[in-house]
Amino acid sequence: MRRRSRSSRWAVGLFAGLTGLVAAHAACAETVLRARLASDIVSTEPGGKRDANTDDVLAHVVEGLVAYRENGEIAPMLAKGWTVSPDGRTYTFALRTGVVFHNGQPMTAADVVWSIRRYLQPATRWRCAAEFGPQGIARVLSVTAPDPQTVVLTLDRPAPLLLKTLARPDCGQTGILHPDSVGPGGAWRGPIGTGPFKVGAWKRNQYVDLIRFPGYQALPGPRDGDTGGKHALVDRVRFMIIPDSSAARAALLRGSLDVIDSLSPTELGGVQGDKRVRLQFAPTADMWLMMLQTRDPLLADPRLRRAIALSLDTAALTRAVTWGTSRPDSSPVPAISPYFTPLHAQLRKPDLAQARRLAAAAGYRGQPIRITTNRRYPQMFDAAVLIQAMARRAGIRFQIDTVDWAGEVQRYSAGDYQALVFSYSVRLDPAMDFALLIGDKSRDPRKVWDSPRAAALLQKAVVSDDRAVRQAAFDDLQRAFLDEAPAVMLFNATRISAVRANVSGFKEWPAEQQRLWDVGFCGRAAC
Amino acid sequence: MLSYIARRVLLALPTLMLVALAVFFLIRLIPGDPAVVMLGEGADKAAVAALHRELGLDRPLPAQFLTWIAHVLRGDLGQSISTGEPVAGLILQRFRLTAMVVLAAVSLATLIAIAAGMVAAWRRDTSIDLAVVGASTLVLAIPSFWLALVLLLVFGLKLGWLPFVGYVPFAEDAVQAALFLVLPILTLTITESGVLTRMMRSSAIEVMRLEYVTHARAKGLSETTVLRRHVFPNAFAPTLTLVGLTLGHLLGGIAVIETVFTLPGLGRLMVESILARDYPVVQGCLLFTACVYIAVNLVVDLCYPLFDPRVAAA
Amino acid sequence: MPRLKPNAAIGAALVGLLLATILLGFVWTPYDPIAIDLDHPLAAPSAAHWFGADEFGRDVLSRAMLGARISAAIAAGVVAAAVSVGLMLGLVAGFVGGWLDRALMIVNDTVLAFPGILLALALMAVLGPSYGSLILALGVAYLPSIVRVVRAAVLSLREREFVEASRVAGDSGLYTMLRHVLPNALPPVVVLATSLFGWAILSESALSFLGVGVPPPAPTWGNMLSSARPYMERASWLSIAPGLCIALTLLGVNLLGDALRDWLDPRDDG
Repeated sequence: MRRRSRSSRWAVGLFAGLTGLVAAHAACAETVLRARLASDIVSTEPGGKRDANTDDVLAHVVEGLVAYRENGEIAPMLAKGWTVSPDGRTYTFALRTGVVFHNGQPMTAADVVWSIRRYLQPATRWRCAAEFGPQGIARVLSVTAPDPQTVVLTLDRPAPLLLKTLARPDCGQTGILHPDSVGPGGAWRGPIGTGPFKVGAWKRNQYVDLIRFPGYQALPGPRDGDTGGKHALVDRVRFMIIPDSSAARAALLRGSLDVIDSLSPTELGGVQGDKRVRLQFAPTADMWLMMLQTRDPLLADPRLRRAIALSLDTAALTRAVTWGTSRPDSSPVPAISPYFTPLHAQLRKPDLAQARRLAAAAGYRGQPIRITTNRRYPQMFDAAVLIQAMARRAGIRFQIDTVDWAGEVQRYSAGDYQALVFSYSVRLDPAMDFALLIGDKSRDPRKVWDSPRAAALLQKAVVSDDRAVRQAAFDDLQRAFLDEAPAVMLFNATRISAVRANVSGFKEWPAEQQRLWDVGFCGRAAC
Repeated sequence: MLSYIARRVLLALPTLMLVALAVFFLIRLIPGDPAVVMLGEGADKAAVAALHRELGLDRPLPAQFLTWIAHVLRGDLGQSISTGEPVAGLILQRFRLTAMVVLAAVSLATLIAIAAGMVAAWRRDTSIDLAVVGASTLVLAIPSFWLALVLLLVFGLKLGWLPFVGYVPFAEDAVQAALFLVLPILTLTITESGVLTRMMRSSAIEVMRLEYVTHARAKGLSETTVLRRHVFPNAFAPTLTLVGLTLGHLLGGIAVIETVFTLPGLGRLMVESILARDYPVVQGCLLFTACVYIAVNLVVDLCYPLFDPRVAAA
Repeated sequence: MPRLKPNAAIGAALVGLLLATILLGFVWTPYDPIAIDLDHPLAAPSAAHWFGADEFGRDVLSRAMLGARISAAIAAGVVAAAVSVGLMLGLVAGFVGGWLDRALMIVNDTVLAFPGILLALALMAVLGPSYGSLILALGVAYLPSIVRVVRAAVLSLREREFVEASRVAGDSGLYTMLRHVLPNALPPVVVLATSLFGWAILSESALSFLGVGVPPPAPTWGNMLSSARPYMERASWLSIAPGLCIALTLLGVNLLGDALRDWLDPRDDG
């Protein structure tokens, strides 16, 4: 009895020791991928209080019914598939089976209905609520769950952009949440989603940790945009908040950081050719442009606006501002879009003589034109400096007004500028790009291009999902855009990412979104 | 003594009130809207209006001011607009770091100033003196952020001796934390030592010309004794005042250095919150730094008698 | 008149060099300081560009020469604004005394309690970017120290015999203030003004670094230095020229300031 007890105790001890060893080994081997955020996330609420960083981090944690693919098309994510009624007003989603939330609960249609209803409540302050309001793409009449694997969404009118809107990163991808994500009274607790990672420790202004979710059910196939097979290859992802780009680059070189997802082009020289680091260049679908206030007495004359556009060598400007990494573009249709045909690829050729003639014809006599820019985005500041220098050669005088970002957004929102260098974040459909620009300035002063003709063309592209009809509309829009010159397109940025040489699987994509699933370290797998 | 402190504190109240008033209205004069900054480029008008209501920004300014002051008097500095954190906690957390860097750097700079200034004064017009004057004048002429960048490049990148990005809290890893602070402290020590050294040198020179130093020397006391016992205590007072002023200003935030070294200190917090129009944080920070400034000056004035026998005797 | 010390001579030479550069810049610079040349960004120092070219191919030497004028003009503007207003306020506070003094001092302490660079940053954001607002913002930040120095000098002068004598002789307060107090309060202010000139140049560079400053494409040493920052390893020459300019100018001004103090302060004849 005694002996047995001793030996069994010994066995228990050995076992405990072994498991301890295994655990210790596992602890030693915990893999941590360290990536950079330029500023802290603002909340953990998808599509709520948000900015681009918040969207990026939460894209690892929550998933929507559908998601963007790499090429800007929509593909299933938590939905297995969907059907649209012939009148275009009813969407029926079949849900995947076996998907579980971070708390272990299976995902059902009831959770989807709860999530979507919650997003549509005004109190949630969903970023995209307005899209489903009176001015938006359509109103949601009902969201129901006829059975645990089916969700039916009914709209008041057909909305071909519905899925592309739901999947937008800034809408939080309309991520499906477990109802326990909010506490009693609707207060936000934390995202209980279905993504490959859960939110771990969040130290304000220092780091945000994401922990691998072992119960994640990956789709088959490779990763594709925000969908496809997603796999957490590391135990922990640590997003380190490093505002300063030189500091971030140095940290990468020293090995205290593994991934810089968007390296400032000015930092490129410091890492190019360094064996410790691999670089990736990915064209994106954002737009950098100079807006011209068509309501300004001076700039109301389209001839002067065209003169300004003709005085600029946007190819040289893009080369200088982005250190040769990005591609100049005269069209709001981004170069990576399937609608980017040779017509859109055609750059406006600088023509100083014609610029002078047009300016003179418009009665321009050297009055200074104020151009607003900021120093938060060095490319915007540099672009303004170059626009000033280039336009000077055609006798057009710009005066640069450098304000901080908040000041610039204020001017943009109020339409309070003559010229303004700006950039729009990625929209994955050209209609969304044009929709940013086109509109009635008296209703929304942010709009840049107040033209009934353009609005009618845009409407054609919005209501149709016929490829040829849309292409024709975009082509007409582009011709009108060059002719009226309410803004001068400069370029679509190329995102530069730099990763340590031992990091495997990192891949940029046009959405300007940092993805750290399917990213790991070289080791067993070759690099 | 206590009544003196009480009087000083009372005298500081109108200043603090003015600071509060000035900062509240100054920051609101800056064009830009915290709600728009937060919601981003594509936010719709209704969302902005709703956020204004939630933050109380839709109320008339005087009403907002009174509410804020009432809360401050109850010890509540409010919450950050952009992160929702309590402002008081935010300030204390950031201030700890700034204070650590500043106190270390100013102490080091003071020690350097005392040594270099005394030696230079003692060996006036020799090559040592010229070197001290030259070096301290040169140091005065270097922009601190430039020096910071050069140090960063040399020690952080080229030599790789020191880590240089971000910051680890002491609670997590004291050694790492200390290493992160070496360069910021070094930068600040160098830039601040210039002015202090010049001050120390010139007041030491003045004291050395006084009769009692000559007497002391005539009595046959050794040079070190003369310097330590007779020159230093009398020459240090003006430098101490300057140390106080320096401390008061630096504790209010070393924004530039914190930006270069990406330290989450008070200065960077203020710059960031000015840029984000995070009104409660800017207000809280500036009110806090004003208090610190006033407190430091009071402490320096209280220390004065320790070093200036004339004041003590009076 | 004591013999010119080597320090003072060096200071005078450096300040003379600055003035010469500014004057030369009016009539000649090697290139147009704001003309871009996008085919040669970050060109290294060469016979064509002695100090190299910046990220837009602009000649660094030409920009530094124009920058000398602008930086010095800003610094001079800040000194002029702060000293003139500071003298007035300090004199009034110190000489009149009473509640006016107390009120002025409370306002003064209020401004002093703000961290200077942040105050300037906020003021710039309110006023918008221009030379005027830069001078105003820095002037306001430095004003309180001038007021303090002047007031302290006036307070000690008020008790001196010649001021007392002027009063007893029945001179008006204003006359006494301007005739007897002001000239004797000037020396410390002059010394402080020379330091202020240097601080203003440094603060302008710090403000540029934090993102506010004079409107481009005008160069100042400060904004040249801050925009050289991303290229410190690849193109260190970009920061050398403005860095040297700032350091040498401040060295010159400080040395000259020391000499001035020695000369004005009778006790320090050595």
